[in-house]
Amino acid sequence: MSALDVSSHKAQATIGRRGIILRVAFVILAVGLAVVAWPVVHAMPQFGSHPLPYGDRVNAIGPAERHITNMVSAINFDIRGIDTLGEEFMLLCAVTGGTVLLRGGRGEDRAASPGHVKGRANHRPPDSLRLLCRVLAPLTMLFGLYLAINAMLTPGGGFQGGVVIASALLLIYLAEGYAGWRDALGSEFFDAIEGLGAALYALCGFVSMGLGLPYLAAFLPFGTLKNTFSGGSMLIVNLGVTLAVAGGFATLLIEFMEETRTLKPGDDPDE
Amino acid sequence: MNAAFADPAAWPICIVAGLLMLAGLLLAGAKIVPPVLSDILALAATAAAGVLAAVLAIRIGDHPALYWMGGWTPRQGQAIGIAFLADRAGAGAAAFAGLMFTGAIWFARGYFAGARNHFHVLMLLFLASQCGFFFAHDLFDMFVWFEMMSVAGFALTGYALRSSSLDGALNFTIINTIGAYLILMGIALAYAHANALDFSAVRAVAQGRPDDPVLIAAFVLITTGFLTKAAQVPFHFWLPDAHAVAPSPVSAIFSGIMVSIGLFGVARMAWDVFAPCPAVRHLAHVGLISIGCGSAIAGAVMALMQRHVKRLLAFSTISHVGIALIGVGLLGQQGLGGSLLYLAGHGLIKAMLFMIAGIMLSTLGGIDEIGLRGAGRRIWPAGIVMGACALVLAGIPVGPLDAGARMMDAQARSNGLHWLALVIGFAGALTGGAVLRVTGRVFFNLGPMTGEEDAAPTDDEREHANRPFAAQLVPVLTLLGVWVLLASMFARSSERFALAAAHDMALGADFSSRRALPHMTPILPWLPALVAVAIASVDLNRHRIPDVVYDRLMGLTRPGLHMLQVIHDSVIGEYVLWMMAGLLLLAGIAIF
Repeated sequence: MSALDVSSHKAQATIGRRGIILRVAFVILAVGLAVVAWPVVHAMPQFGSHPLPYGDRVNAIGPAERHITNMVSAINFDIRGIDTLGEEFMLLCAVTGGTVLLRGGRGEDRAASPGHVKGRANHRPPDSLRLLCRVLAPLTMLFGLYLAINAMLTPGGGFQGGVVIASALLLIYLAEGYAGWRDALGSEFFDAIEGLGAALYALCGFVSMGLGLPYLAAFLPFGTLKNTFSGGSMLIVNLGVTLAVAGGFATLLIEFMEETRTLKPGDDPDE
Repeated sequence: MNAAFADPAAWPICIVAGLLMLAGLLLAGAKIVPPVLSDILALAATAAAGVLAAVLAIRIGDHPALYWMGGWTPRQGQAIGIAFLADRAGAGAAAFAGLMFTGAIWFARGYFAGARNHFHVLMLLFLASQCGFFFAHDLFDMFVWFEMMSVAGFALTGYALRSSSLDGALNFTIINTIGAYLILMGIALAYAHANALDFSAVRAVAQGRPDDPVLIAAFVLITTGFLTKAAQVPFHFWLPDAHAVAPSPVSAIFSGIMVSIGLFGVARMAWDVFAPCPAVRHLAHVGLISIGCGSAIAGAVMALMQRHVKRLLAFSTISHVGIALIGVGLLGQQGLGGSLLYLAGHGLIKAMLFMIAGIMLSTLGGIDEIGLRGAGRRIWPAGIVMGACALVLAGIPVGPLDAGARMMDAQARSNGLHWLALVIGFAGALTGGAVLRVTGRVFFNLGPMTGEEDAAPTDDEREHANRPFAAQLVPVLTLLGVWVLLASMFARSSERFALAAAHDMALGADFSSRRALPHMTPILPWLPALVAVAIASVDLNRHRIPDVVYDRLMGLTRPGLHMLQVIHDSVIGEYVLWMMAGLLLLAGIAIF
């Protein structure tokens, strides 16, 4: 903010002196904090110490009352489902915020020639890369779907699956180049997926209430243990998370790609 | 109506999830929903959330209720799921947040035209997360909403992405992320020994082992994080930077309600969760009162030294929230109630002042007090409102701000702390004087000669000039109307409600006695306001003061003021060092 002349000898000496003071202060404070933390570290439970009553209880609840084998999903989507609702919208908030910040710097209009960096030639990707990506992209997307669908059985779920699905889009970009990718997909589509997925989660809770149950209470039959479609209404919630995460990460990818557009002559990079 | 919705205990989640769902749908329909409809939907939703919370606060009355999500009620005394608590403290705070957001979104109409409805989405998420924070009855759930609030805040701060706003937004992000990280560590420590995250469950464990160092460390870390959000000395450095660059409707939210949330969190932790630990009560008493005093005094002095109006208001926020923090540290229901009422009164006034700063930015094309001298004469109505707000800040004996201050003062007197009135008066006089000086200079062309504020950082920014002055003034006047209602018709009932909210938050406990409001001589309550007027008159008439007297005065104060300037005009690494020092201070108080 204030324009200081930092090149003069005097200013340099001041900066240097201040740096030394800061380092000394840091060391003193760090030692002090370590000293006061010592009794706390001493009183903490040992590594791997049991019993952990909460964990044990949740491990019992998952198979017995929800017919699922992945306890992480039981906690995420049911027992502490309201936290996940918050996390879900935190992601939406972060993506929207990122979009606003990036678009704030560049304006709403789409670049005519995105994916071009000034001073760098824009070769067509080699055929070998294109072939590889065209093969890998559907496989990656399939794997993402697999992760998301089997949330109730094996490690995975909407968050992980959604990210993998979105990364498949990155492979398509590698194969087709940015312009083709953007034409094929479009950011409005991903905005819609993201928003609707997240809203589906919140709506699922209201459906419980409409049926006279507490918010986010399970309202579908739980199915049979070790079946893909066990867990009842957790499946709906998981679908919402998958959509929101895939849409959110895809939106982020698009927005960052748009950043590579070439500046027009009149553009001010600081505006 | 369905029985599940009729139960008032279910309304908190309806408020939070309803706002979230609307945000998701607005984002999904970004392309098809016209801007006017976004405005209407967002305004209706925030207003409805506020009204529903207010009705809840009245309906729930003396019987706070827990609502277990998904029906996961505790089993054999062990909490399984997450509960929302419907009590008067949380519901009252949520109602106030609804009011603040309605005002800010109304004021911002047209401001964010370029960003489709992303502004509305972010604001709805911002409000939803704040309401979630007020109602949460679980350490980690509270943290989730707290983090979401931070993310929304970061994005809204940097909205006008220029290099200076990037600096401010980055400082805000880094400092608050460190604070959030400390909270998370504290929650992990609490869980390590409590094996539960529910407030009541952790409290029960604290009851059984009141001297457990792990629980005390958890309180220290969580409190440090919340004090960072509350912008208290020495964790406050991000606030002036963030305020200086944030769009003014967002600044109104930051000072109106967001910093108060940090204080609400501290109070919840101290009273609801860790109160059985004697070391925690000692820390809350000594630590919060000293940090509050430090913030009240340092913030007030710094405010008087600013020329960037939004920075000035930011420092005044630090000062006033410091006073409210003292109220929490008094450990009595009367003090806590006074603190809550004080925050509400301050939030109203500060939101109005930031809106006026926004009017200056858009109609006068600047925010620098010295540069705008006399420029505001054609929008004099804004000047009159600003002057009135300055007098309220200074502490004229009308309205919720003053009622809260009197309640805290009464509590302090029954604790034997008779000097609290002096600190309140000092902070009021200096901050009120600073705002009066700005009013005089910008709107009435006074004060040709500048003083210590000349050296303060300033910035050449402006905001969209696409909104007519009258349209911008209406939300300001509406908030003023609410203030007048609270000062006249609802004066008694707002005091009673604040006491009731404090009673709920303290779970009926009271760690220090209370007594009736002190009887004062008729001139004394007006004293801070008179001093404020005196300070502003001296500052605005410097050219009339003989040089000898003026130089003598300046010579006395300059070294101290210069040092404060230097401390506040530095880089992020130093801010983090100050945070470490503050953490060490709190830990030291807890140990000794």
